Amino acid sequence: MNTLFKPFALGFLALGLSLSGCEKKEAAPAPTASGSTSGAARTPSSSPAPGATDAAAPARAATGGAAPAVAPGAKRALVIGVIAKSSGNPVFQAARTGAEDAARDLSAKYGIDIKADWKTPVSEDAQKQAQFMEQLVSQGVDGIAISCSDGQVLQKSIDDAVGKGVVVVTFDSDSPSSKRMAYFGINDVDAGKAVMDELAKAMGTGGPVAILSGNQTAPNLNARIEGVKQRLEALKDKGFTLKQVYNTKEVPADAANLVQQVATANPEIAGWAMVGGWPLFTQNALDGVNAKVVSVDTLPEQLEYLKSGKVQALIGQDCYGWGYQSVVMLVEKLHEGKNPPAVVNNFKLAVVTKDNVAEYEGLWQKWLGKKSGN
Amino acid sequence: MLVIALLMAALTIFGGTKNKRITEAGETRIVQVNKFLDAENLVLLAKDASYIAIMAVGMTAIIVMGGIDLSVGSIYALAAVVGALALRALQAQWLGVPIADSVPTVGGAPLWAAVPVGVGVCCLVGALCGFANGSMIVGLKVHPFIITLGMMAVLRGVVFVLTGGKSVFSFPDSFTAGFFKARLVVGDNQVYPVPVVVMLVVALIGSIVLARTVLGRRTYAIGGNEVAARYAGIPVGRVKIVMFTLVGMLAGLSAAVYLGYLGAASSDAGQGYELSVIAAAVIGGASLSGGRGSAVGAVLGAILIQLITNAMIILDIDTNYTNIVMGAAIVVAVVLDQVKSRFVPSGR
Repeated sequence: MNTLFKPFALGFLALGLSLSGCEKKEAAPAPTASGSTSGAARTPSSSPAPGATDAAAPARAATGGAAPAVAPGAKRALVIGVIAKSSGNPVFQAARTGAEDAARDLSAKYGIDIKADWKTPVSEDAQKQAQFMEQLVSQGVDGIAISCSDGQVLQKSIDDAVGKGVVVVTFDSDSPSSKRMAYFGINDVDAGKAVMDELAKAMGTGGPVAILSGNQTAPNLNARIEGVKQRLEALKDKGFTLKQVYNTKEVPADAANLVQQVATANPEIAGWAMVGGWPLFTQNALDGVNAKVVSVDTLPEQLEYLKSGKVQALIGQDCYGWGYQSVVMLVEKLHEGKNPPAVVNNFKLAVVTKDNVAEYEGLWQKWLGKKSGN
Repeated sequence: MLVIALLMAALTIFGGTKNKRITEAGETRIVQVNKFLDAENLVLLAKDASYIAIMAVGMTAIIVMGGIDLSVGSIYALAAVVGALALRALQAQWLGVPIADSVPTVGGAPLWAAVPVGVGVCCLVGALCGFANGSMIVGLKVHPFIITLGMMAVLRGVVFVLTGGKSVFSFPDSFTAGFFKARLVVGDNQVYPVPVVVMLVVALIGSIVLARTVLGRRTYAIGGNEVAARYAGIPVGRVKIVMFTLVGMLAGLSAAVYLGYLGAASSDAGQGYELSVIAAAVIGGASLSGGRGSAVGAVLGAILIQLITNAMIILDIDTNYTNIVMGAAIVVAVVLDQVKSRFVPSGR
């Protein structure tokens, strides 16, 4: 190895030296700037919010006709990093489509080049998300939208990114104690309550209710479980009881297997409150399951279960909006200095039943159809 | 290692440049730097590799012996969670507040108390798990694959029982920003070098132990031919237990770095890391049939894996392709290594 290590080191050194010319080359500052480049960049803007000044500088300079803050010939561009929990989960594919659509729509609207850069671990790993985040910051992205696998583990990375002038928003799963600008997603406790309300309606009479959840570390899922439990407590007198909370690895096939095993072993279970829709992303998850089922999420695969009557209601999350709205919030902040409507932005929950399932099918066709360039 | 050199060269040339924001005293300026050769990127790359590399040094010793340890990811998580609970308790006690889910991180336990407690508890938990692995493998005469596969599940289960799935946080700042995430400002660059330093120290000590000590030589001897080693009077069982204990301890040390850098322990930390660790050791030249491998190779293997992730980001390639490239890289690296060993006679 030593024999090979030497040429490697020499080669690397030579490359480093030959390319050192382009390292740390100061981008031409505005000649009229009184002090620093940033001074020049700030002048045209009407009181931009802190944190956004530097990132928005190239864009503002471009639109406002002010002194250029970037090297001449540099692209007027914004790069938004998008980090979801896992690329294997279909809900995040919808988020990705949303983010890419928003980037395209806003590029046209503002006349600048906006790019949504999708960087998502294959399977859930908060540490890997933190590493992606740091590398995106190091690569100079302007904003980051992230769905946190673990809000606590990611807090320091988010704060560091914000400290370096990158604007961060969270979607789907928040990191409430971090310095992120805003969160976009559902109120998870309310979603849990809605699941149980619909389930109680479908079940009519009481009975044992099983809760299906995913990763035990995900605060959003735990909040939904809390919502289901709160409603169950209120319905105690009507005979509704909690059987157990079952956790899956958030892999559709594993989740489907688990539901079937639990249902087979416990035929008394009268209702399933699914705080995530994983088993329903397969086709035959509910074969042999004779309970009423209400689930979060409204993916196309899940809608089939509504149509066949095996699932009584779905509580909709705006998965496409996770990506779309996050990019909108980031670009508006970076480009116009405009703050989002609130720090915590909860969208309205949609209840999808057999009656309005067609409407949702159309919506998904539009969302996923857009990707192929409509 | 040729692969690393080629990849680095490719990244330097094709990565292009980026606009780097530098904030000093509230003033921000933008400079253009090479995307790959940027010092911040290089340290970040080495830092991300360090968690895997620290464990890979231990894994190399196990693989050299002809063994395997599948439980390092779970040991990592258990050590992190217990270490985190200890650090939070320490902080609460120092501040004189009751232990709760969240206690203030500012003030409280100083560096000289927090670092030994954090690192000590993590390493101790790791070493105990490793000792359990080694003792069962030797005592029950069961293949390490089976014992550590079982322990992987058992220890992960213990983690979830301990935490109920919640993450553990609220450590003294002296352990996080004060030590493991201490910032070093060099010119225009802000880097966090401590994990990298830990990795280099582990690689150095690992190299010395493997190449220059009786324990190390015995490890190679057992991997070369266990029966012959036994007849030569080598206490095979004892060496195995010591090595499994050491790899457990290194998983604990890696967990301490994780705790200090990220400031919280997640119950699902280190899921699937065992495969990355084994991959790093194998890419670094460790032979799964035993008798061959080096600590420095393991570190370089971990760096290569991280280099691939970094390449995805620098060259702006969809992360969905990471696994394809990673798998191909493992095969290419090992094949190249074999080709090399056919032409260059190796002493090991």
